[in-house]
Amino acid sequence: MDIVVRAVGLTRRYEMGDTFVDALRGVDLTLARGEFVALVGPSGSGKSTVLNLIGGLDRPTSGEVWIDGTELSKSDERTLTRHRRQHVGFVFQSFNLLPRLTAEENAALPLMFSGVPEKERLSRARTLLTRVGLGARLTHRPTQLSSGEQQRVAIARALVGQPALVLADEPTGNLDTATGVEIMDLLKELNQEHGLTLLVVTHDPEIAAFADRMVRLRDGQVES
Amino acid sequence: MTLKDIAKTSLSNLSRHKVRTVLSTVGVTVGILTLVTMLSLGVGVQREITQAFQGAGLETVRIRPVTEESTSFSLYAEPKRKVLITPELVEEMRARDDVVAANPHMDVPWSANVSLQVGDEMVQASVDEVSWIPNEPFSQAPDLAAGRELIPGAPGEIYVSSDTLAALGHEGQAAIDALVGQEVALVLKAPRGDTQAFPLRVVGVFHPNYGIDGPYFDAHINMPDSLALKAWWYNDPDILEHEGYDALTVKAASLNDAVQIVEQLEERGFQVTSVKMMLDMVNKSMVVLQTMLGSVGGLALFVASIGIANTMVMAIYERTKEIGVLKAVGASPGDIRLLFVAEASLIGLLGGIIGTVGGWLLGLGLNEAILAYLEWKEIPVTGTFFVVTGWLVALAMAFATVIGLLAGLYPAARAARLDPVEALRHE
Repeated sequence: MDIVVRAVGLTRRYEMGDTFVDALRGVDLTLARGEFVALVGPSGSGKSTVLNLIGGLDRPTSGEVWIDGTELSKSDERTLTRHRRQHVGFVFQSFNLLPRLTAEENAALPLMFSGVPEKERLSRARTLLTRVGLGARLTHRPTQLSSGEQQRVAIARALVGQPALVLADEPTGNLDTATGVEIMDLLKELNQEHGLTLLVVTHDPEIAAFADRMVRLRDGQVES
Repeated sequence: MTLKDIAKTSLSNLSRHKVRTVLSTVGVTVGILTLVTMLSLGVGVQREITQAFQGAGLETVRIRPVTEESTSFSLYAEPKRKVLITPELVEEMRARDDVVAANPHMDVPWSANVSLQVGDEMVQASVDEVSWIPNEPFSQAPDLAAGRELIPGAPGEIYVSSDTLAALGHEGQAAIDALVGQEVALVLKAPRGDTQAFPLRVVGVFHPNYGIDGPYFDAHINMPDSLALKAWWYNDPDILEHEGYDALTVKAASLNDAVQIVEQLEERGFQVTSVKMMLDMVNKSMVVLQTMLGSVGGLALFVASIGIANTMVMAIYERTKEIGVLKAVGASPGDIRLLFVAEASLIGLLGGIIGTVGGWLLGLGLNEAILAYLEWKEIPVTGTFFVVTGWLVALAMAFATVIGLLAGLYPAARAARLDPVEALRHE
């Protein structure tokens, strides 16, 4: 089995003044290439923390995170940046598009930091936007797009760097049910078409049902 | 990120908050405007002065004897001289390879009782040797009314004021023209009872100018005649031997030669002034003036830099989430730092551009106003007092950009350090 993500014994402790909060208490997680996994659990169970650690936005207090053979927990800032640039794509609940950029500019944004020439990155963004059904709205700004359309732009942005792994944190949380289903359908299609490895955080069982496999978290630990 | 990406992103961020950008720019604009106006004034005035001095020939050196302190005042004796400008010194100078010309001067004693006699008419007149050097600043020759000017060193010539001739009844252009080429006389009346007439030929008539260039004497003569007048007045035929010349003008072959001549003659005890020395002094004081004026603009820019820093710190708070997003999609701390520094520098540059153009326009306006004022006051001065040179523009832009850049360093470092998880959670 080709392993993309392997997390071993992840803990994450936050300092809150004099007290400590243990968000994760030893989480093991493995994702095979092309797998679509849903990470479910109640609010405060540590789902987003796992996502941040795998995405290289944060470092664990202890434990190891291996992504495509690179260990992240003790990496310096430069390695983490390279990891975010090359290996992961993020999809957020609130889309997080830059309001002054057009759809194609938003989708092309990650490639700016990789040094891809403007012409090429816009061309790649247009291809992806067309794929997610926004071929006619390339030059619209986020405020001119519906919520579902904004999330499609965010998905295109997550894919533009051709990452091995896409991490989605409550991608349907700000969408109505029908649109949420459309977005999940799209993610499922991309997963099947391109063999994309997907880790989706959600508390909604209906959304989790799209995944191949479900991992439940409770109080910072994986429920068996 | 390419330079184009950085510029585009920064411009886009700045255009998002136009009012705030303009307000942050105002500080730099005012600072640079002050700086450019002040410095262009310095450059302009210095250039005018330098041009005036260069017209005089920077190679010209003027030598005077040093006199002992006089213990008593006397109309008929001058203070004793420590070193003399002897005819031998003049010859020595003329023999040098690095000297183009050496002209001795002799003043007509200011106490001498002199009258100008034309035909049978006579009027008291002040007379001196030619006191101006052609093209020398601050000693402009008076306007020619008829004939020609004196040829320095030529004996028997006199150059007379039209006012003095009018006092003798020769009024109007025709009367003046008729006098050119005629023989007149300078009559000296000594307290010892003697009277002596010195016949001279009128070669030209000038209009006396009592403005800033004057006043002139009623008549001017050349050195051999002024020597004769002085010798007769002091009743000392060998006055040259006893007192030497009053001054010596030496024109050196080059600026370096002039500097050497100044040093050598100073060592021999003469009082030496050169146009170069005067220019150096003026330049030195101009640097002081420019520094002072520049400091005013500098202070304004210091305040402006605090304004920019404030704007950028505000921008961090506003864009915390955006910084988180940028980090999540692959921006390094260095990229974030670069974007913030570029934005702050751009505020500086924008202020620099507006300030430079403003300073240039203000200079043009002030120049017109000053010239109009001088004309109204009938002071015949023309020129450009505010000069914006290429280096001044480049300096102003670079300075404004650097001010912005420096102001942006701290906010940029803070933005770069933001924790991406915290930033993404920020609302």
